[in-house]
Amino acid sequence: MTRPLIQIDDELREMTEEEYEALLATGWTLEGSDDLAH
Amino acid sequence: MAIKTFTTGEVLTASDTNTYLANSGLVYVKQQTVGSAVSSVTVSSAFSTDYDNYRIVISGVTGTVNNDTFLMSMTGSSGSTYKSTSFYLVYNSASYNGVAFATSTSFRIGWTNNSNDMNYALDLLGPFAARPTFFKCDGANSTIVFQNGGEDTSSSSCTGFTLTPSSGTISGGTIYVYGYRKS
Repeated sequence: MTRPLIQIDDELREMTEEEYEALLATGWTLEGSDDLAH
Repeated sequence: MAIKTFTTGEVLTASDTNTYLANSGLVYVKQQTVGSAVSSVTVSSAFSTDYDNYRIVISGVTGTVNNDTFLMSMTGSSGSTYKSTSFYLVYNSASYNGVAFATSTSFRIGWTNNSNDMNYALDLLGPFAARPTFFKCDGANSTIVFQNGGEDTSSSSCTGFTLTPSSGTISGGTIYVYGYRKS
């Protein structure tokens, strides 16, 4: 699977494996859930 | 020179003009266009000793997920020190809803939206000073109107910030940073 893009100021690049693992560790998912009652 | 009253026929000098341009209440610091399908966007070198408090306006951003939280973490403060809460109103409903978030590693500044623009006007108080930082954010989208607020209890001095949707990606729009003039 292609890792998501990350933007730092004007630089856009694909996340490194370490950055992607850190993002997933926060509970981030690509699909998410439509739920205001977080 | 905070205030000066000009009289009829008086010459407006370059000095006065430059002074009053610099003495506006909100002073533009920088802006950042959001790219396409990014999972986060970092705005660096936004805060300094020039201003104590800032207004950040985010408009025209579109998410891929509806009604998930939109996060802001401060550059230089990475611990689980961020407290946030949210109140929101759904259009055509009298219910006033509150959401309490667990302390985490980022502010919950608002909500994502996938069918209309995500819009936020956020005041950030004391991000560069070595003391806790506070925020208050008003926002609206096609579904709700909301107000979020919170405190980062860390005393770290922060120079920038990163915006991240709790899920999905964001595209487009612009982030504007303004400083509140001190004197």
